[in-house]
Amino acid sequence: MNTIATSVPHVARIASFALRTTQRVSRALLLDRPFRFWVDELAPAASRVELRARVLSVVDVTHDVKTFVLAPRVWPGHLPGQWVPVEIEVDGIRLRRCYSISSPPNDPHVEITVKRVPGGRVSNWMHTHLHAGDFVRLGAPSGDFVLPEATPAKLLFLSGGSGATPLIAILRDLAHRRALEDVTYLHAARSRRDVLFASELARLETLHPGLRVVLHLDDESPRLDATQLWVWVPDLAHRETFLCGPTGMMDAVAPAFVGLEGRLHHERFVAAKPAAAAPGAGALIHLDRSKRSMTTTGCGTLLDELEQAGERLEYGCRMGICNTCRCAKRSGVVENVLTGAISNEPDDDIRLCVSVARSDLTLAL
Amino acid sequence: MNRVLTPHEIDAFGRELDSLRQEVLDQRGQRDVDHIRSVVRTMRYSEAAGRFLLHVGIDPVTFALGSGALGLAKILENMEIGHNMMHGQYDWTHDPELDGETYDWDMACAAHQWREYHNFEHHTFTNILGRDRDVGYGFLRVTSEQPWNPAHIIQPFVAVGLAFLFQWGIGAHALRLEDTIAGRQPVAELWTRARPFLAKGARQLFKDYVFFPGLALANAPRVALGNLIANGIRNVWAFAVIFCGHFPEGVRIYHEQETRDEPRGAWYLRQIHGSANVEGGRLFHVLSGHLSHQIEHHLFPDLPACRYPELAPRVRAICERYGQSYNTGSFRAQLTSVARQILENALPSRARPARMH
Repeated sequence: MNTIATSVPHVARIASFALRTTQRVSRALLLDRPFRFWVDELAPAASRVELRARVLSVVDVTHDVKTFVLAPRVWPGHLPGQWVPVEIEVDGIRLRRCYSISSPPNDPHVEITVKRVPGGRVSNWMHTHLHAGDFVRLGAPSGDFVLPEATPAKLLFLSGGSGATPLIAILRDLAHRRALEDVTYLHAARSRRDVLFASELARLETLHPGLRVVLHLDDESPRLDATQLWVWVPDLAHRETFLCGPTGMMDAVAPAFVGLEGRLHHERFVAAKPAAAAPGAGALIHLDRSKRSMTTTGCGTLLDELEQAGERLEYGCRMGICNTCRCAKRSGVVENVLTGAISNEPDDDIRLCVSVARSDLTLAL
Repeated sequence: MNRVLTPHEIDAFGRELDSLRQEVLDQRGQRDVDHIRSVVRTMRYSEAAGRFLLHVGIDPVTFALGSGALGLAKILENMEIGHNMMHGQYDWTHDPELDGETYDWDMACAAHQWREYHNFEHHTFTNILGRDRDVGYGFLRVTSEQPWNPAHIIQPFVAVGLAFLFQWGIGAHALRLEDTIAGRQPVAELWTRARPFLAKGARQLFKDYVFFPGLALANAPRVALGNLIANGIRNVWAFAVIFCGHFPEGVRIYHEQETRDEPRGAWYLRQIHGSANVEGGRLFHVLSGHLSHQIEHHLFPDLPACRYPELAPRVRAICERYGQSYNTGSFRAQLTSVARQILENALPSRARPARMH
C-alpha cells in the first residue's frame, strides 16, 4: 500500500520530465514540425497542438441566427456566460472570432449561437459553409461575465439581439441547478421573428415559477431606453443586472443604472468594426504587451511615431520590404501608405514602417 | 542597353509594378495556401521515403533512391518552403505552421540570423558594393568592379568547395568574418554572431550523423553516408540556383552614392538589373524555390512565390516598354556565364578602366 502511494508521484514526475525532455530535443533537432505534420496527416482528430471540435449539428434558431453544436476532443470546461475563440479558414486565411457559449457546463457538447452579420466574413462563412462533420479550431474559454460565486437572490438578465447568448447559458445553468428563484429575463429584439430561444424561454417559464420572461419588440413598443426599462422592471434597483447587447442599446439603458453601477455586470458583444478617421487625425496607440499607451499625430508612419514616443522597435529597411517590423494589430484601422489599403480586421499583421494610424489602435508590442 | 529614364518615367515605372503587386495581394488566397501545403506534403513524404529506404535497405539501389529522396526533400524544404516562408510570404494566412517568424529550416544557418542579413541587408541594398555582402559573399570576385587581390587566383577552386559546403557558407555568412579580418568588427562581436551559428550547426551535425544513424543501429554507416549525400545534393543545387540569380554577366553592380535617396521606381529598377532569371518548367521552378524568377522575387519578396511565373511575362513586358533589359536564359547558359565570371575575375582586370557611374 505504502509503496504504491509513494511511487505514483515518482512515476508522474519521471513521465513529465521525459515528456519535456523529448519536446526540447525534438525542437532542437527540428523534429517537432514533421511530428505535427504526421499527426495531422494520419490522425487529425488527435492533434494536441490546437483544440479541434467537430460540428455535430447546425440548428436554425431564427431566420438569421444558427446554433452550431460542437464536440471538442477535450474541453477544459467553462463557466456559463464565458466566450470561446473560434477559428476558421476562409479562402486560405485563418480568421478568429469570439463567440459566447450558449450551452451550460453540464451539457455534453459546446454550443455557439451565431447571427449572420451583414458583411461579416466569419459569420457569413459559417452560415454558408460550416456543416455537420466539419472541424473548427477553438481557443480556451474565457471571460468574466459570469455569476458571482453566491448566486444573487434577485436577478435581471437584460439582452438585446444576439446578446442573449451568454445569458441563455446562465439561465440554462440556473434551471439545471434548480436555482431559478427570482429572475427577470428581458430580451429586446427587432421583431417577434428575431427573438432568440423563444420556445425554450416559454417552456422554462412554465416549469420555473421564479422566472419572468419579458420580450421587448422594437416594432411593437417604443425604443428600449432607461424610462422604458423602469416600466418593464420596476424593482430594477433591487436586482443584480447582467446586461449584454449592441452598443446602441447598452448606451440607451445606461442612465437607468446611475447609482446602481455596483450591481451591474455587462458585456459588449459587437466589437464594432472601427471606421477610418481622416488622415492625420490624432490617434491613441496602446501597446498590449508592454502595457503602454501614447498619443500620436496620425501623420507619420507608426514606426516613426512610436520611435518619437520613445519606443525602441526592431526594424530593417523602413520601406515595407524586409518584414522585420511586422506586428499584429489587435484592433483599429491603419492605412498602408504604399498601397492605400485599409486594414480594419482584428489581428491583421501590419508593417509599422509603411502603416499610418487611421483610428485608435491596439498593437501586439 | 538600358534607356536612361527621366524621373517622371521612373515614377510611372514604379507605379506599374506597384499595381502588379496590388493585383496579387487582392487575389492571394486558397490557391497559394493549397500550393504551399502540397509542397510541404510532398516534402514530408519524400523525406519519410528517403529515411525508410536508407534505414531498412541493404542494397545499393535503395541506398541511391533513399539518398535521392532525402536530398529532394531537403531541396524542397530549404528552397520553396523555408526560404519563401521565412520571407513572410504566407504570414497573411495566420496559420502558425506557415509563419515566417517562427520557421527554422533544415540546414546549418540559424533562421533568425538569415532573416536579418538576407531579408534586410540583401533585399534592401541589393547589389550595392559595400552594403550588400551577398556580392561575392566577401571572398569571391564576381565582377570586375570589385578590387582584385591575389587570393582571388584560387577562387575557381574555392567556388567548387563552396558548392559542396553551401549550407555552411550561408550559415557562416552571418558572422561577418571578413569584417573582423579587415579590422572593422571586434572579435567579441564575431563571437556573439558565431554562437547561434555554431549551436545550430552542431545540432544539425548531431541529427544527421549521430541521431538518425543511431536509430538505424547496424545500418548506421549507411544512414550517415546517405545523409551526407542528401546534404551534398541540396548544397550543390542551392549553390547553382543562387549563383545564377545574381552573378551571371550583365547583372549590374551599384555604388552607394548613386542609390542615395532613390525613389521606389529606381529601387525596382535596381532589383531588376541586379538579378537574373533562369528559364525552365514548373517542376524546375518549384525545386529552385522559384528563385529561378530571381527578378520577380527581388521586386516582390513577400508575395507567394508560386505567383512569380505569372508575373514574369508582365514584368518583362513593362521592362521592354521602358527600354530596360531583363536578364534571363537557360540554366546551362546562366551557369556557363557564372563560371566565366568566376574564372575571368580570378585574374586582375586588364587595363580596361573601371566603368564610371
